[in-house]
Amino acid sequence: MTATETQSAGTWPSPKRRTIRAVNLRGVWTLFRREILRSLKVWDFTLGAATMRAVLFTAVFGLATAGINRLMGGMSLLDFLVPGLIAAAVLEHAFVAAAFSIVHDRIEGILGDVLSSPLNVAEIIAVYIASALVGALVVGVVVWAALLPLGAPMPHNAAIALGFAAAGAVLVGFVSALVGLWVRRWDSLAAVQTFVVLPFVFTSGVFFSLERLPGPVAALARANPLFYVVDGIRLGLTGRAEADPLTGLAVIAGTTVLVGALCYRLFATGAGLRD
Amino acid sequence: MAAPFSAPRPRRIGLINGRGLAALYRREVHRFLKVAVQTVGAPVVMSLLFFAIFDFALGDAQTVGGVAFPGFLAPGLMMMAMVQNAFANTSSSLLTAKIQGNIVDMLMPPLSPLELTLGYAAGGVTRGLVVGLATGLALWCGTPLSIADGGVILLFAVLASAMLALAGLVVGIAAEKFEQVSSVGNFLVIPLSFLSGTFYALDALPAFWQTVAHFNPFFYAIDGFRSGFIGHADADPALGAVVLAAVDVMLMALAWRLLARGYRLKA
Repeated sequence: MTATETQSAGTWPSPKRRTIRAVNLRGVWTLFRREILRSLKVWDFTLGAATMRAVLFTAVFGLATAGINRLMGGMSLLDFLVPGLIAAAVLEHAFVAAAFSIVHDRIEGILGDVLSSPLNVAEIIAVYIASALVGALVVGVVVWAALLPLGAPMPHNAAIALGFAAAGAVLVGFVSALVGLWVRRWDSLAAVQTFVVLPFVFTSGVFFSLERLPGPVAALARANPLFYVVDGIRLGLTGRAEADPLTGLAVIAGTTVLVGALCYRLFATGAGLRD
Repeated sequence: MAAPFSAPRPRRIGLINGRGLAALYRREVHRFLKVAVQTVGAPVVMSLLFFAIFDFALGDAQTVGGVAFPGFLAPGLMMMAMVQNAFANTSSSLLTAKIQGNIVDMLMPPLSPLELTLGYAAGGVTRGLVVGLATGLALWCGTPLSIADGGVILLFAVLASAMLALAGLVVGIAAEKFEQVSSVGNFLVIPLSFLSGTFYALDALPAFWQTVAHFNPFFYAIDGFRSGFIGHADADPALGAVVLAAVDVMLMALAWRLLARGYRLKA
């Protein structure tokens, strides 16, 4: 027997092959831990900048609209704005998370460590999405807490708010992974953020309700899945929404399946990963 | 037979090394123009977004400082973009050079500490003015900008850009990591430029904060710059110009002193 021969020859027992079942749990956990530790290293910066921006917008809007009595989507401007800012912080974090990690690894030349590990494509993508999700929810809760003294509402239904935040983070997490595959330099990632993500998020009902938009533009806005994320989070926080939440969930889920499938396909073929 | 070439003669440098100063200035300007999409395009897009959001949410609802809100907001956004970018130009230039080790290329040439200060600051001011102009032209498409006094506009644009360019120089010298520079930007420059009257007139603030505003150079920068457009100011523009000039001189003296001592630049 080979095993007995080896054992008798040396003092060490030969290592046994680890059996990996349907899911490589240990590998998934290891990569997930790395992703979380990586974002924890800069947590003060990530959370600080997101919180600072939301607080500034709230303060500035509050001061600029002091003395104006105007309703937005059936509530005061500030009540409308605060849930929107929380949603924007969630979405922006989810967008950065996976793309940051992939671009960083590629530039440092250590992307191969992830690809050559005994993790299949679905497992790798799942880890990126999971860490984007955890980070985005933490950012959302912290920004909400920071806005409490400035008029953030106690959640009307926390489960709905968290559910829509999670759904939005997963969708944007997939987009983020796609952008990570495509982008080669930090500059390009920053450009995508400034010229695509920020305008997109800002026009998804964060600052104004669709009823303020002219007809055709409003129809276009209703085709934007991020609008339903913002609207759903606002529903969870204030109890008021512009669109039917079930329609919203359906749109978000449908888009997520499409983007997720594209993401899986590109990772599986190695597009942008193996040059 | 005499050599075909005469031996090179040492260049005589007068009171100011004009050629060296021009070279440093050109380098600082080329540095940001090379990536103009990020250094000029990005702030323009951000300003347009801000303008759209605020105009949309409350544009027709009020007049501020005697003018309709869009006309009040646009100069504020221009000034906000100018100060943030003037700061970014000098701080990133200094720190990148330190981290990549090519700061010696700045310290070795026959440039005095004063010339270094002036060269870097002029680069930052230029970035501020270019961004301000680009932002202004872009905003002009959204709202008609009247000009009450072009001289006042230019004066405050230069004084405010110089203030932040010099501040960026000092921060770039003192910082050792990119996170430190971004922190100063995120937690000091951006909040101050947001909260110093870009979006609202002074009388929107509680009395205590109105008093505080009069000790805030950012407030004078925005207020004075805006008065060049709308012809109305919360504070006396002459006082504002004096305050800004005084801050500029102090920051310049500080940057000069740090460069002369080689603080965190020379081992």
